[in-house]
Amino acid sequence: MTGPAISVEDLRYSYGDLEAVKGISFEVQPGEILGFLGPNGAGKSTTIKMLTGQLTPKGGAARILGEDITADDPDIQAQIGVCFEEKNLYLQMSALENLDFFASLYGIKEPDSMELLRRVGLADRAKDRVQNFSKGMRQRMMISRALINKPKVLFLDEPTDGLDPVTSAAIRKTIKEEAERGAAVLLTTHDMFEADELSDRVAFINEGRIVALDTAENLKLKYGTRSVKVRLRDGDGVREEHLELDGDGSSVRLAELAASPDLLTIHTEEATLEAIFIELTGRGLQG
Amino acid sequence: MSLARIWRILRKEFALGPRSPFFSYTLILPVAMTLIFQVAFGSLFEPKPRMGIVDDGSSAITAAIEQMDGIELTIFEDAAGLTAAVEANDVDAGLVLPAGFDGAVAAGERPDLTFYISGESYASNRIILSVTTIDLIRDIEGAEAPVTVDVVSYGEEGLPTNVRLIPVVVFYALVMAGVFVPGSSLVEEKEHGTLVAMLVTPARSGEILAAKWALGVLLATVMSVFTLALNGALGARPFEVLLVIVIAALMTSTIGLLIGVVAKDSTVFFGLVKGLGIFLFAPAAFYLFPDWPQWIAMLFPLYWIIEPIWQVSVMGASVTSVWAELAVALAITAAVGVVVAVLSRTMRARLIGE
Repeated sequence: MTGPAISVEDLRYSYGDLEAVKGISFEVQPGEILGFLGPNGAGKSTTIKMLTGQLTPKGGAARILGEDITADDPDIQAQIGVCFEEKNLYLQMSALENLDFFASLYGIKEPDSMELLRRVGLADRAKDRVQNFSKGMRQRMMISRALINKPKVLFLDEPTDGLDPVTSAAIRKTIKEEAERGAAVLLTTHDMFEADELSDRVAFINEGRIVALDTAENLKLKYGTRSVKVRLRDGDGVREEHLELDGDGSSVRLAELAASPDLLTIHTEEATLEAIFIELTGRGLQG
Repeated sequence: MSLARIWRILRKEFALGPRSPFFSYTLILPVAMTLIFQVAFGSLFEPKPRMGIVDDGSSAITAAIEQMDGIELTIFEDAAGLTAAVEANDVDAGLVLPAGFDGAVAAGERPDLTFYISGESYASNRIILSVTTIDLIRDIEGAEAPVTVDVVSYGEEGLPTNVRLIPVVVFYALVMAGVFVPGSSLVEEKEHGTLVAMLVTPARSGEILAAKWALGVLLATVMSVFTLALNGALGARPFEVLLVIVIAALMTSTIGLLIGVVAKDSTVFFGLVKGLGIFLFAPAAFYLFPDWPQWIAMLFPLYWIIEPIWQVSVMGASVTSVWAELAVALAITAAVGVVVAVLSRTMRARLIGE
C-alpha cells in the first residue's frame, strides 16, 4: 500500500468526565519512527490503546494501513505489533513457549521464535520460564513478542522505561532495525534522549494535545537558542563563558575568544528536547 | 470465530494447567474426598473375605459362593496350591471339596471336610466364610436350622452414607473443574494483562471465552466420570451417565465463565464464589438429609444436573426418566450463556477501565 501506515485525525478519548486525548492529528509513514514525548498522564498510552483496538475512540478518525480502526478487523490486528508498558507475559511458560503461542494466534505455522530470541540476546534462555527472568530480560521478551508477526506497524509503549543502559541500547538497536525493515513505529516515551536518538520525528504531547510535531533538529532550531560554551585558562584555574550566537555582537566576541591564548575548548550547545518541552508547556517530562 | 484459534488457546490452557496449583487441586480434591468418605463411611479398606476352593466334583457350594458379591472366590487346581495360598494369606480360608461331596452330604453320610484358615486372616473374615460354608452344606443336606431366627432391623432404612455422599463428591468435581478452572483462568489472564496481550492479536474475545469454556467442559466431564468410577457408581448405563455428565459440565462451565467475566480480579472472583457457594452446594446437601423437603432443592440451579446424575448413575434409572430435569438444565445453561455473551462485549472495555 502507499500512503501513511498510521493516519490520525482529531482523535479524542475521555475516561468519564476526564478528557485524556483532546483531538490529536498526525501521520506515520512506513519505515518512520515517530516519538510521542510527554509526561505521565499526557495521553500517550491512551492514544496507543485506541490505535491498537483496546479502546474505542470517542471522536475523530484513525486508520492503520488504510483501514478504519473502529472496524475491529482481525486482519488489521495481524499487521500490528504491540509492546505494552506492563510486562504481560505468561510467567509459567518458557520464553520459547510464549513466542510460539502468540505466533499461533497469528496463524504462523513455523515462527522464527529462536531467531527473535537470538536478536534480543535471549537464545540461551529460550527454555527457561519467564518467571525467572530479570526486568530487562522480560522487556526484551516483550519486544520479541511484538515482532513475532513481522508487523508493518509497531506500537511501543515506554519500551526502555526503568532499564539499564545496556538493555536500553539493545532494545533501541532492535527498534531501528525494524524501521529499516519498513515498519512504521509509534514510540511513546518520556525519555528525551531516547526520543532524540530514535525518532525521525517527535510529537510533544501534553494534557491530551500535540503541542509540537517535527524532526528533533527542526524543533531545536525553531525553539532552541544557538550557543557555545568556551573554557579559558584563568590563572591557576579554569573559567567558562556561555555565548549566545544569535545575540548582538556575539560573532565579534566569539572571534576574540577564539584568538585568546588562554582558550582551552569551545563546544557548541543546543537546546535539549526537554528544555523545549518546558518552554512550550511550562512543565517537565518527568511529571 | 476461528476454531483453529480456539484450539490453540485451549492447547495453551492444558499446557499451563499442570503448572497451576489450582488446576492440580481440581484433580486431587475429588480423589481425596472419595478416599476420606470411603474410609469414614464405606468399605474401601475393608476387603472382601477371600475363599479358596479345590473342587473335584462341581459342587453346588462353589457355584453358590461364586454368585456372592460379598466373597472373593479363587479356584485352585489341587490341595497343595490351596494350602500354599492359605499359608501365604493370599486367601483367608480354603476348602477341598472331593468328587461326590454334595451327593454324600445329601445322602446323610456326613463326610469329613477340612476348612483351612490363614493365620493372618481377620477373625471377621474367618467367621463369615465358615458360617457361609456351614449354611451352604445345610442347604445341600436339606436340613432346617436348629433354631428360628427373627431378624429385627433398628435404625433408619435407606442408602448407606457413603452412597449418599456421592452427589457431594461429584458436585465438587463438577464445580472445581467446571466453575473454578475456567473462571479463575480468565480472571488470572485479566490480572496479568495476558488477556489484553491476546486481544491485540487477531484473537477475538469470543474465541478466548470459547477456549476457557471448552477447558471447563472437558475437565468437568473427565473429573466427574473419574469420580463416579472411583465410587463404583458408573451404573449399568455408562453412556447414559456420560451424556448426563456432559450436560452437567456444559452448565457448570457456563456458570464459571459468567463469574470469570463479571469478576475483575481474584478478590472479586473468590468473593463471588464464596457468596454463591451455598447457593450452588445446596442441592447436594439434600441427598445427605433425605428428611428435608426435597422440593426445596429444585429452587437451586445445580439440582437440575445433580438429580439426573444421582438417578442415572447411582439409582440405575434410564436417561429418559430424567429428560425433564436435563431440559431445565440445558435451558438454564442457554440463559446463562446469553448473559455471558452480552457481558463479554463489554469485557474488553472494562479491562482497560473504559
